[in-house]
Amino acid sequence: MKSETGFDHALYDRFPTTRPRPEGELAELEQIWCAPKGWEYLKAVNNNYIGFIYVVTALCFFLAAGILSLGMRVQLAAPMLDFLPQDTYNQFFTMHGTVMMFLFAVPMVEAIGVMLLPQMLAARDLPFPRLSAYAFWAYAVGGGFFFCSLFIGLAPDGGWFMYPPLTSLQYSPGINTDMWLLGIGFIEISAIAGAVEIIVGVLRTRAPGMTLDRMPIFVWAMLAFAVMILIAFPSVILCTLLLELERAFNWPFFDPTRGGDPMLWQHLFWFFGHPEVYIIFLPAAGLMSMMVSTIAQTPLVGYRLNVLAIVATAFISFGVWAHHMFATGMPRVSTGYFSAASMAVSLPAGIQVFCWIATLAAGKLRWSTPALFIVGAVLIFTMGGLTGVMVGMVPFDWQVHDTYFVVAHFHYVLIGGMVFPVFGAFYYWAGMTSRKPLSETLGRWTFWLMFAGLHITFLPMHLTGFMGMPRRVYTYLPDRGLDLLNMISTAGSFVMAAGVLVFLIDCARNFRFTTQNDAGNIYNAGTLEWLPTGLYSTRSIPLVRGRNPLWEQPDLAKEVEDGRYFLPGSITGLRETLITSPINAEPQYVQLMPGPSPWPLASAVFTAGIFLALTVQAYAFSAVSCVFMLWATLRWLWETDRPIRLKEGDIGGGIVLPITITGRHSHSWWALNATLVVIAMIALMALFGYLYLYGIHPEVWIAPPALLQTAGIAALLLLAFGAAWLSRILLARSALGEFPGQGPWMSAAAGAVLVTLALYWDVTGWLGAGLQPTATGQGATVFALLAHQGMCVVTGIIMAAYLGWRSGRGLLTGPANVTLDVVARWIGYCAVQGLVASLVMRLFPGG
Amino acid sequence: MLVTACKPPEEPRYVPDSTLAEQGRTVIEQAGCAACHVVPGISWPAGRIGPSLKGFDDIGLIAGAVPNTAENLAAFLRNAPAVKPGSTMPPIPISEEQARAAAAYLYGIDGDV
Amino acid sequence: MFEALWGWPPPILDPAGPYAEKVTVLAWVLIALAVIVTLIVCAALYVAIKGPAPLKRRLGGESAIWIGGIAFPGVVLTALLIWGLTLTADLTSDITGDEPRIRVTGEMWWFRVQYLDPAGRVVMEDANEIHLPVGQPVVLELRSADVIHNFWVPHLSGKKDMVPGRTNLLRVQADKSGQFGGVCAEYCGGPHALMGFVAIAHTPADYARWQQGRMARLATANTSAGPGRQLFMASGCGACHRVAGTEANGLAGPDLTHVGTRATLGAGILPNHRGTLMGWIGDSQGIKPGNRMPSYDMLSAAELTAIARWLEQQQ
Repeated sequence: MKSETGFDHALYDRFPTTRPRPEGELAELEQIWCAPKGWEYLKAVNNNYIGFIYVVTALCFFLAAGILSLGMRVQLAAPMLDFLPQDTYNQFFTMHGTVMMFLFAVPMVEAIGVMLLPQMLAARDLPFPRLSAYAFWAYAVGGGFFFCSLFIGLAPDGGWFMYPPLTSLQYSPGINTDMWLLGIGFIEISAIAGAVEIIVGVLRTRAPGMTLDRMPIFVWAMLAFAVMILIAFPSVILCTLLLELERAFNWPFFDPTRGGDPMLWQHLFWFFGHPEVYIIFLPAAGLMSMMVSTIAQTPLVGYRLNVLAIVATAFISFGVWAHHMFATGMPRVSTGYFSAASMAVSLPAGIQVFCWIATLAAGKLRWSTPALFIVGAVLIFTMGGLTGVMVGMVPFDWQVHDTYFVVAHFHYVLIGGMVFPVFGAFYYWAGMTSRKPLSETLGRWTFWLMFAGLHITFLPMHLTGFMGMPRRVYTYLPDRGLDLLNMISTAGSFVMAAGVLVFLIDCARNFRFTTQNDAGNIYNAGTLEWLPTGLYSTRSIPLVRGRNPLWEQPDLAKEVEDGRYFLPGSITGLRETLITSPINAEPQYVQLMPGPSPWPLASAVFTAGIFLALTVQAYAFSAVSCVFMLWATLRWLWETDRPIRLKEGDIGGGIVLPITITGRHSHSWWALNATLVVIAMIALMALFGYLYLYGIHPEVWIAPPALLQTAGIAALLLLAFGAAWLSRILLARSALGEFPGQGPWMSAAAGAVLVTLALYWDVTGWLGAGLQPTATGQGATVFALLAHQGMCVVTGIIMAAYLGWRSGRGLLTGPANVTLDVVARWIGYCAVQGLVASLVMRLFPGG
Repeated sequence: MLVTACKPPEEPRYVPDSTLAEQGRTVIEQAGCAACHVVPGISWPAGRIGPSLKGFDDIGLIAGAVPNTAENLAAFLRNAPAVKPGSTMPPIPISEEQARAAAAYLYGIDGDV
Repeated sequence: MFEALWGWPPPILDPAGPYAEKVTVLAWVLIALAVIVTLIVCAALYVAIKGPAPLKRRLGGESAIWIGGIAFPGVVLTALLIWGLTLTADLTSDITGDEPRIRVTGEMWWFRVQYLDPAGRVVMEDANEIHLPVGQPVVLELRSADVIHNFWVPHLSGKKDMVPGRTNLLRVQADKSGQFGGVCAEYCGGPHALMGFVAIAHTPADYARWQQGRMARLATANTSAGPGRQLFMASGCGACHRVAGTEANGLAGPDLTHVGTRATLGAGILPNHRGTLMGWIGDSQGIKPGNRMPSYDMLSAAELTAIARWLEQQQ
């Protein structure tokens, strides 16, 4: 194989090593990765703990939203019941959808990723453990408070998709809507943090030799999942912010009387909303692929086709969003295109289904609870996919849109495509984290009750939709032929609930959390997560030579445990893992990992405090929370980027690699790239909003400020970019470890000042030209973009100040420094973003 | 008083034909009687303009005017002002057969509801 | 009497007009395809797990994925797509301009109906009910006065959103006379579940008679009398409701000029006769909680009777 980084592949022949390992090496490793005690659990950052509690929390939200659905079904069991009065029901169905989609589905697959990915890649942990902790706590605290809004009757009631004008201040004056906008908007931060980490983890922390072609399918799926999150989630973050701005400050994004348009929300929301369901499905499909391979005891058939299907699904899913809007009166050309794309996106799903069937055929299925869930999932998902093709046909959709037929469709695909694989995964991977496996007997009961319950509940709904029952109704009239169908669906929902209850009983009786002596590889799988592990993951990081290492190399487990591969101990006495190249996984350097810390928890709690206080309009409390959040975050960051004594070390077999690096190849650089993609997508979607509103209501557009002013602002921004770039150049002139003086820091700070000045000029320029944010759609979108730029600029100022403080303490040494890289690149990005946004708004459509 | 309290509950005055009563329920739903009356066994609407019909079969007189028999009730439902002059319940556009079915339903309400 | 506006058979499979009928054909084909493919996948699963060895071998290779996952769906989906695109074009083909036009505006939580003349002027107002001639396409101008609603009469056509700030056009046509129920099919808050209407199709002769009757009624003075008329005005009903030819001129609520002949009350949820009129006026909040009309429970039964008797005359 050609080398990707210049690493000599002949060095791989030194493994497994044969010399005995030094005394105390393993004990030192155990000490460095030791378990927390008592309150220390709150400070834990190891993915064994964070991943597990993340899964449990997501499961709790599943149960909570499920109970809501039982309440809904009781209300709908017969016509015109009064079990849940109108307003309560409207809150229930909104919360059921919102909690399932935002607090269960995405977090659950992300949590499974946090638990499993490092193990599957034989990395010691995810690349940013404290970020995982932050993401989890933000989600748990924010989600918990959000759900509690139900208990005070202030839960959102506009549907999970919250269409304006129904959710505008005029028709939803209460803070219920703000609960959703601020609560959910903030929980997305958690998902995005996880996504950044997963991308860097999948691409840079794989075991040496695990080329892209040898990655487990779940890893591919999580990579697609994370990239999709980076592109899709900014859209919903933006539209929730816009609606909140409209409600709080009267900026008319969605008000047609002032040049806004309710359809803008739908475009922004569904641009997120459709990829969202594939974000949920793909990781579960990845889990399916791995479980299918194990239960058939044969490698996955059509691995490359499966990978292609995952990537194709990810791409195409971004092009189908308006199939949720077929009935809104779009032009025929648009509906035609979206219908075609929707047909196309079902093709890769079919490829995956046949991969699974082919794998089952190529091997010999051994029945077990996971096997039942897998076969059941294939059937249910196929049925759901077929009704999906049906609703992709525009004239048919015009009849069944917004009826119970669609409810049937998406429950089939979501339960078959995600819930069943996840429950199968619980049984399958329980052995990794529990002393006892879950019970096969209770597992069968769980499966059959859930399977039967699903069909009894949702199969009649296809007919209910054909009978004309619309969605989101708290009741129905008695003479419409809907009575029996609804009663059957209600009965089925309790059957399903019984299945979930059996599962909970199984967990209570059998699941015993452990990180040391788990039940093991009960189903005889072939992938790396089944290597013997401790809190440090594997004793040594193996060399991977194929897709199913445990099947291909039967002695691998023993060799790994004896420390015969990479990094059998700790070089620096701190937590470490190996960073490898993205395509061929060639070892590049050793990364130092942080240990337990209370700061991510503090930062998460205060972040939650900011948003929740805003919801109840407690502005002072929110501001105070913001101050504390910044302090906690900077305190957390302060411990990073420390000078290290050792510059390089032996990772095993005599191979010597650097210990942390800076620059383009470092994992920190890549993480910032991923983050900048998110920020850029928010700006891009805001620009889309600007252009879209211009297309619908050009009559409200006024002329921009003078061209000279525009040129001046552009010049300032270019200078800012230069200043930021200069700071890195200035630092590079110093020798290793040498303090370069104030030059680099001040150059970066100058950049921050210049982008601030440019923004100030931009804002006052527009105000001077007569544009008010509350006046028209143009005003609203222009100032929204400027506000976004403002957020980025303020962050840049804080970063520059932080950098100055570090420089003042002598921590900014040459020739390259991670903190400086992040700050300088952030400011440079602000300059570019400001430039593009300003120019577009000032030059199009022009004076 | 103790002796009266020990008396077994009264038998319903009528034992209605349950198929006819079921048809009667449909008539009541379709004619919108519940827009003005609370009708036991029908949860919506629960109108308050007219009197509640709970325990209707135990009442001696319909609207305090005529004896509560199946024939009188059917006639009353179709044209209340004719049966009781000055009644504020308007005529309801249902056929004789539908009125008899509705009456059968109302007599099935035991008062236990 | 309140006939069930729909029940069995499912309205989507029981078309009463050409636009709905073409979609019903599509629906049946899609249902058949879905069932067949589900059975194929079941069979494939069965063979994969328990089938004879030679069949399993054939199914266990990449060629099975190419055929089952790419070739077969590719062909079927392409064919379906072509059908779908042509059918969409057919259903939305250019409106000629001389179809009768009715403007329907979604409100919370009822449908305002305005019949337009060829010049686009409003000639007749109504609520929660549209009348069509059989055999002729009618164009509906769909608007909204507040939030997004949706207009759907499944026997006659697919649905279309009513979006504030826009006018969406929907063509419907009934090929047989009768009453066809409809609902609002976009969540609009509150009692969205109780927002419905009726589409009534007449034979051309009956339609002409109906139209003439209405226009004649509008052309003459409103001489309907009775204590109800005074009570109606005195109770302030005219502030929200319009009755043509009287001083009642309100535009906030449904037009009551023809309420006596309306098939339903409350937007498709109650039959229309004197009793339900009284019940609705007296306690509309109890019947449709959250709707914009307050309950007039201060009126006595006699007063309600009088008002209802007068409204019955508004035909």
